[in-house]
Amino acid sequence: MAKVDEYKMFEGCTIGNRIPFIEASARKVFDKLGIKTSEGPFACCPDPVGFNSVDHSSWLAMGARNLTIAEAEGKDIISLCNGCFQTLKAVNHELKHDEHEKEKINKILSSIGKEFNGSINVWHFVEVLYNIGLEKIKENVTHELSGLKVACHTGCHYNRPSEIMQTDDPMKPVKLRELVAATGATPVDYEEEMLCCGAGVGNIEEEPSMQILANKFSSAINAGAEAIVVICPACFQQMDTNQKKAEKQANKTFGVPIIYLTELLALSYGIKSEEIGLKFHRSRLNALLEKHGIK
Amino acid sequence: MVSVDFELRKKVMDAHIKDTLKYCYQCARCTDVCPVSKVTDGRYDPRQIILNSFLGLKEAIFNQESNFNLWGCTICDTCDEVCPQKIGLTEVFAVLRNMSITMEEGPEYYTSQASTIYDSGKAIPMQTAIERRRDQLGLPKIEPPNIEEVQKILNETNLNKILKK
Repeated sequence: MAKVDEYKMFEGCTIGNRIPFIEASARKVFDKLGIKTSEGPFACCPDPVGFNSVDHSSWLAMGARNLTIAEAEGKDIISLCNGCFQTLKAVNHELKHDEHEKEKINKILSSIGKEFNGSINVWHFVEVLYNIGLEKIKENVTHELSGLKVACHTGCHYNRPSEIMQTDDPMKPVKLRELVAATGATPVDYEEEMLCCGAGVGNIEEEPSMQILANKFSSAINAGAEAIVVICPACFQQMDTNQKKAEKQANKTFGVPIIYLTELLALSYGIKSEEIGLKFHRSRLNALLEKHGIK
Repeated sequence: MVSVDFELRKKVMDAHIKDTLKYCYQCARCTDVCPVSKVTDGRYDPRQIILNSFLGLKEAIFNQESNFNLWGCTICDTCDEVCPQKIGLTEVFAVLRNMSITMEEGPEYYTSQASTIYDSGKAIPMQTAIERRRDQLGLPKIEPPNIEEVQKILNETNLNKILKK
C-alpha cells in the first residue's frame, strides 16, 4: 500500500452540517495519530440510499464530480461516514470497470471542465486507523477503558456489497472490534450484530424501522453491552435521536449510550468530553463515564 | 390476465452489468435474511420483486395500493451478500426505484431530498447555528460546493426535468 501523506477530508452532510461534534473527535484522534487531512469544495456525496434511488446517472455524475476534486490534487479521500464512503467507492468502482458509463459521465463532466480518471482511492476512516496498526492505536491510550462492555455496530455500507467495498468480512467484520479492544474496552458477542439499524426503511414507514432498531437494542443489551459503538452518522442518528421512539414501540426502556468510534478513542486518549461535545448526544453518557472514571 | 412487459425486462436485464438476473432460481435466501421482510410479515419481499422483474410483470411492481413493495427496502445489502447466484439485487431495485420516480410513484422524502441537493449541493444545507457550533468546537469552515457546477451536471442528467425544476 502506497504511503498517503495527506487525505482529502470528506466529513459529509450529516456530520459536517448537523452533528459536527463527531468530526471534532475524529480530528483530535487523527492529530494524535499523525493522520493529515485537508478540506475540499465537495458537494453531497450523494446519499447512496436516497439519491441513487431517485436517479442513478445523477448519482454517478455527482459522485464523479467529487472524485475529480480529489484527483486534481492527487490525494485519496478519507470518509467519516458509511454512506459517503459507499457512494464514492462504488462510483469510483463502477466508472473504473464500465467504459460505457465512464464515457457517458465524462461527457457530462466536460460541461464543467472536469474529467474522471479513476486515479485515487477512497478510504473509510476505520480502514485508515486499522492500517496504522493496533500497536500505534494502543500507544496513545492514557485512560484504558477496561471493564467497559460495548456492542459493535459497523452498519451496512461499511462492508457491503463486499465485491465492491473490500473493507472487511461482509458478515463478520473484525476491524471495528479490534480497534475497540485496543482502548481496553470489551466488544461483546450479540446475535443481532449484523442487523441493520433500520434507518433506510424509516424514510417511508416508521414502524418497521423502529421495530428493527428495538430488536437490535434488545439483543445488544441482553448480551451485557453498556454502550453501542458506531462508525456511521446515519446509524448514530437512528440509534441516538430515535431511541425514545424505539422504546415506545417496544414498550421497553433501553437507555443505551451510542458512541462514535472516534469518540471512544478520544476518551481513551484522555481528551476531555467537553472538547468533543459529548453533551450533544441525546442518550445520556454521564452515568457511564462516571462509572468508568472518565472525565 | 397477466401481461408481460418486454421493455421492463430489457431494462432490468440491461441495467445489470453482469447480466446475472436471469440465473435467479427463486431460492428465497434474500427474503430469508431481509430485516424488513421479517418485521412486516413479508409485506416487503425481495424474492417477489426479482421474480416480477425478470418475468416482466410490470403491473405487479408498479401502481400498487402502497409503494412499500418497492420502497420498503432499507438497502442493507444483506441479500446481495447471501445470494448464491450473486445477482446483485440492490442494483435491480435501484433501476425499479428510478422508474417509480419517473412514474411519480416515489415517496416524498426521496424527491424532496434530491430537490435539496439540486438547490444547495448538499442533502443537509449548512445552518448558522451549526456554523457557530463548528466554530466553538474548533472545526474549520466547510468549503461550499460550486452550485452552478452541480446544477449544470444535474441538468445534463435531466434531474431538473425529473424533479420538475
